[in-house]
Order: sequence, then C-alpha cells, then structure tokens
Amino acid sequence: MPPARPSFVCASCATALRSQAPNTSPALRAFGATTAQLQPPAQDLPRWKQTPPAMKMPYRLRPQPNQPVWKVNEDPEPLDEMYDKFVGRAGEAAKGQTGVDSTKGRDLLPEEVKWLAITHKSFDHGRRGFNDRLALLGKRIVSLQTSLALLHAPTPRTAPSDPFLTTTHNNNNSSNSSDIFHHVALEGAENITAFSKAQVLSPTRLAQLAQSYGVDKVMRWKPKKSENLRGSGVETVLAHTVYSIIGALAMQRGGEVAARTARERVLLPLGLR
Amino acid sequence: MKRVRLDRWASQLQPPRNPRLHAQRCAFSHETTTLPRRRELLPQRRQYITQTQWQCQRRTVSSKRKASTATALQEEVDEGETEVLPPPPARAPLYAPSHRKALHSAKLAALHARLSLSPKLPLQTLARCLVDPSADPRPTHNNAPFAVLGQDLLGHHTTEHLICHYPRLPMSVLFAAQYAFVGEATLASIRSEWGVEVVAAPGMEVDAGLLQLKRQVPGNSLVEGTSRQVKDMPGVRKLGAKFGGGRRNSEWNYRRGISSRVVFDDEFGELVGGEPYAGAQLSTPAVGEDDGTVEARGADGTTSTLPNLPQSPDETEPTTVSDASASFVRAVAGALYLHAGAAATKTFHRDHVLSRQLELHTMFNFTHPTRDLSRLCAREGFEPPVARLISETGRLSRTPVFVVGVYSGDNLLGEAAGASLNEGRVRAAAAALRSWYLYSPPKGEVVLPSEVEGTAAAPATGKGKLGKVWKPQVIDVGEIVT
Repeated sequence: MPPARPSFVCASCATALRSQAPNTSPALRAFGATTAQLQPPAQDLPRWKQTPPAMKMPYRLRPQPNQPVWKVNEDPEPLDEMYDKFVGRAGEAAKGQTGVDSTKGRDLLPEEVKWLAITHKSFDHGRRGFNDRLALLGKRIVSLQTSLALLHAPTPRTAPSDPFLTTTHNNNNSSNSSDIFHHVALEGAENITAFSKAQVLSPTRLAQLAQSYGVDKVMRWKPKKSENLRGSGVETVLAHTVYSIIGALAMQRGGEVAARTARERVLLPLGLR
Repeated sequence: MKRVRLDRWASQLQPPRNPRLHAQRCAFSHETTTLPRRRELLPQRRQYITQTQWQCQRRTVSSKRKASTATALQEEVDEGETEVLPPPPARAPLYAPSHRKALHSAKLAALHARLSLSPKLPLQTLARCLVDPSADPRPTHNNAPFAVLGQDLLGHHTTEHLICHYPRLPMSVLFAAQYAFVGEATLASIRSEWGVEVVAAPGMEVDAGLLQLKRQVPGNSLVEGTSRQVKDMPGVRKLGAKFGGGRRNSEWNYRRGISSRVVFDDEFGELVGGEPYAGAQLSTPAVGEDDGTVEARGADGTTSTLPNLPQSPDETEPTTVSDASASFVRAVAGALYLHAGAAATKTFHRDHVLSRQLELHTMFNFTHPTRDLSRLCAREGFEPPVARLISETGRLSRTPVFVVGVYSGDNLLGEAAGASLNEGRVRAAAAALRSWYLYSPPKGEVVLPSEVEGTAAAPATGKGKLGKVWKPQVIDVGEIVT
C-alpha cells in the first residue's frame, strides 16, 4: 500500500498542507515525483491565462505581504473594449490585409498578443511573458512620429521660445534671413528639439492619456505597494503599456496602422497634429 | 603673435577689394576666445586660411566686426584708425561659414559624392549638418533639429530590424546591439570612415566641409546632441534623491531595472545625459541661485519656462568630438529624410548601418545558464534539461576535454566542450540558451513594419510603397527573468 504522505513531510506539515488546499493528494504525491509526471499544462487553458505549472511551487514559502491583495482583470471583455477605444478608427489602415475582417481594435490583434501587450514584467514574476520588447519598438515609433508632427506644429508665439527665433521674427527679416538657407523641405525643422519631444512624451502625460482610454483597468502588473500606486510607479507602467500597444500593432498589422494609431490616438490627444 | 592679415598675405585668393576697407583688420577672426588655441596649432590654421575664399562685401564687414563679442574689444582700440561707416543694420552674427560658401567647398562636394547622397539633398543643408550646437547655438544654423530627427529614424529602423530578425533577443542584448549599430561610438567611427575631418576650433573662415564643434574634455551632464542640461529636461530620470526621481543605483534595496529604461532612458537603455561620474553633482542647484527663471512645475510634472539658452558660441557648453560626430551622422540622416524622403533614409540606413557586421552571439552574459535553461524548459513545457557526457578525452591528464550535451528528453538543446565536467555542463547550457534567444525566422517571412508604411495610398492591395505584402511578425513572450 503506498504511503499516505512522502517520508520527508512531517505530520504537522502534512496537516497544514491539507488545510491549505483541499485537493492536496496529487500535490503530496508530486513531492517525490519528477516534473514529467506532474499534471501537464491544461491544453484548454490559453497561455495568458495560466502560469506554467512547471514553474510553480506547489505551495507558497514566503509569508503573504502585509498589504491588500492585488487583483488584475481576467475578463476578455473589458480588454476588448479598451482596445476598441484605444485604436478607434486608426485600424482602418489595415483594411487590405489578409485575415482582417473588421478593423476594430479588438479584432486587429490575436488573443495572446492582446494579453501580452498589457502584461508588465512585474506580473506573475514575468512567467506569463511581458511587453518589454513591444514597448521598445512602440517607443521608437511614437518618438519618430512626434518628431514628424513637430515639423508641422506652429511655432509657439506666446510660449517662451528660443531667443533666436523671436529675434529673427522681430528684427528686419531681410538681413537675418539671408544668413539662413531657406528650403521648402526645411520648413519647421527648428521645432524639433529634444526638449519639446520630452515635454510631449513625458510619462505623466502619457499615463493620463492611458487612463482616459481605460488602460489602467485592464493592464496586468503587480505594484510594490497596493495602497500606494503612485509610489509604486503606476505612471511608468501606464506609459510603458501605451508604447507596447503601439509596438504590438506594428508587429502584427504593420507600420502604417501603428503610425496612424500613434499619430491620431496618442499624439493628437497630447496636443500635436 | 600677430594675426595673419588676409589683405596682404593671401591676396591671390581675393576678389577685387574695396579700397575703403584697406586699412581695416581682418574681420573674420575671433580674437580672444580662440586665438590661444590657434597659436598652438599654427600649421592647421594656415591650412584653413588658405582654403578660405574671403568674400569682401561692403555692407557686411564692419557689422560682422561689431557682432563678434571677441572683436568688440578691439573696436574701442581701433576707433581712431578706421573710417566711419554708416551704422550697420542689425544682423545676426555668423559663427560658422555662411551657407553661400557651401557651394564653393570642395570637401563638401566631395563628401556628398562619396556618400552617394541623393541629389535632392542640397550642399547647403549638408554644410549645416556639419555645425554642432556648441559651435553655433541657433537652431536655424546648426544641426540640432536634424540630429534629433535622424536619431529617431536610425533608431527606429535599427530596432525594427533587430526585433523582426531576432524576435527572442533579451532586452539587455537588444540595448547593446542597438548601441553597436547606431550608438555614439559607432557613429563617431562612421564619421571618421567617411573622411570628415574635425576643426580645431570653429569659425567663419574654416572650410564648409569640416565638422565644427567647440571641444572640451567630457564630464558635463549635457543631453546628447543639444546644448541643454539634464536638469532642465522634462520627464528625464535623474539618479539622486533630491530630484524626487530615482535613487542612486548603489543604494540599498534599489536597482534601476531594465523595463523602466524603455520609458525613461534613451534607445540604448542609458541614462539621458550620461551616467553620473564619481563626484558628479546630482542635485539641482538651490533656488537662491541666479538663474532668474522661476521653474513652474505644471500639473504633469514638466517645467513650462525655458532656462536661459546660450546666445552665442561663447556661452555654449563644449562637447566631445565623439558627441559631435554622432550628431553629424544623425543630422545627415535627418536632413536626407526632409529633402529626399523615407526611402532614401532607409537606403542610407541599409548602406551605412546595417552593412556593419555585428556578432550577436558574443553579446550575451549569463550568470547561471543552467538555472535559466531549466526555467525556460519549464515555461515552454519541455522536459527538464539533463546534461549528458557525449565524449571525453584526457580525463587524467593536465588538459582534459569533456564534450557535454544538454538534452530535453531525446532532443539535444546545446552542446559544448569544457576543461571539466562542470564547465562543459555550464557551457552547454549557455549554448542552448543562445540558440533559443538567437532564433531568427526565415528570411522570406520577415517583413519590417516600415516596409508597409504608406499603404494608405493603396488600401486595396495592402502593399506598401516598396511593393511588399505584410506578414505578421513573430512576437515572443519575453526572456527568462534572471
């Protein structure tokens, strides 16, 4: 007759385990078994829904943190709504592609990618994947579109601008402008500065934009302190997620969709045409 | 040492002179700030002057003399000597060769031809690309706008190339590869490979085909490519408790991780403005200082007032040659985009950046490859990795060789040789991890996102301007968190 519990589990621990989870007998058996004999990953559960069973400990060793339990959204519907709101009509650039029936945000990306794009590295210790790479690509795209949008931005007259621009405006233009090489392609090039770009893309503003789209309700992450989201860096994670959604659109639907989304859904609300 | 007088010395280069200006000194030298350097570098200076085509223009000479702060001092001394000219019109001073000189510069034309740049890019813009903000702080005269745009373009093309061709590359390797392709050091070496020389000091008389910057030893916290200091940049992360931003990386229980670099830092994962060196001042100056501007922090944490920007080259912060070289190469890319379009920029990127060979497999650094491989197999649902000795020789000799393979079930994941059993096992695990991370999809499956930009013009076919049909690219879940 097989032993009720493995020999290296003492009686009190076995009692504690039994009380922790009612169906512990397979877990207790698993102590001595190799991972190959463990329950294989449930094939019906998608990858985004479960953490790989081989990576999990059967029980938690460390004490629970002294803060409210942090819960994230598991429901696909709010996620789809967020994507619809985020992408809006910019998805119409994907009309000619194969496999694109409707251009709503929720239909542009497959399910796994949709969940991956809003999953931060802090979620589940990174075991279900994270959106770092997508965010890197998305940031490059948004950064480029910001520079191009600044080309067409009107030079601010009231805001404090570079002293040279105002002096050339005030002084007699003929003598000053003869020193500058004028070309139609270079119109507005002086608007592109690292300062204005950083102002447009500051993480705080991006976080506010993301909140308006409802990203904070669906993104999956784990704050350091669940009562103090601001101190845990929610703004950084929100900005990161905005970039990663753009990156996911680029990888899945091409540069045109991503650029249009960046221009119309990110930069336009931030004030750049 | 006496200044060289162009009106006597280089007379064969001059057009017919205005006799009224005969008695005046050479108007194109910047006396006090740069003369000490030029004293040391006499041969080079002579070289610059012989290359100059001095245009003697009536209305410009005296005003240029006045405009330069350096020669303003001489003015008071020279008052008695010179003739009284009509008051010059208010005119912006020139710190670099005028764009009209660009058409007469042989170096510039040769550079344009050597790089096979599009004929749509005019020589005047290329000349402007060679002027660093430290040489001329005005954004209408220097390469700063082009450099920012060019950095975006080069970075975008490089990132999408890396991510589409190597979808599983870990973030730290991605950052390092990005730097290897379009980082400052690489662009600086590109500049020297192109044969662009650097001036000893900027000025109006230097050839338009030379890179102009105000040189200084590195160590100041400037945002790369601009003349702005790090503390004035909005949204920039600064290490230092007083900023209300991050903390020093060496503080207990704090680590500036990889993920947050995407949002805060530049495309290489480096702090904007450079790592603080030992003894760097990391806190903002006290409010009582004489900046004159009260920083009003807006609701979004950005400052609305601009600090005092440098108005003349005397006030600009000097930069390093490598910074200015990188700005120049970026500026060429940006100017090419503005004049010749996106396709020309992609060709430029392919010809100058992607043509460089990068050995990605040398850029990995594993601390516990066996542990990481075990986690990877667990995540992907493979059988756990087992190391097996494939072959060995010389076990009892001074130089044994053990060839170890790491298997998942019957599948060989990685194989390597080591001087001991343990070393072979660890090397084999590292080889297995590299083979996972360096996965590259078949060439026919890779379509870069930018290749289908511009499909708005042809929505029916879904083809971009280059005629490529879009295919969704491999999106990997992420690397193993070590």
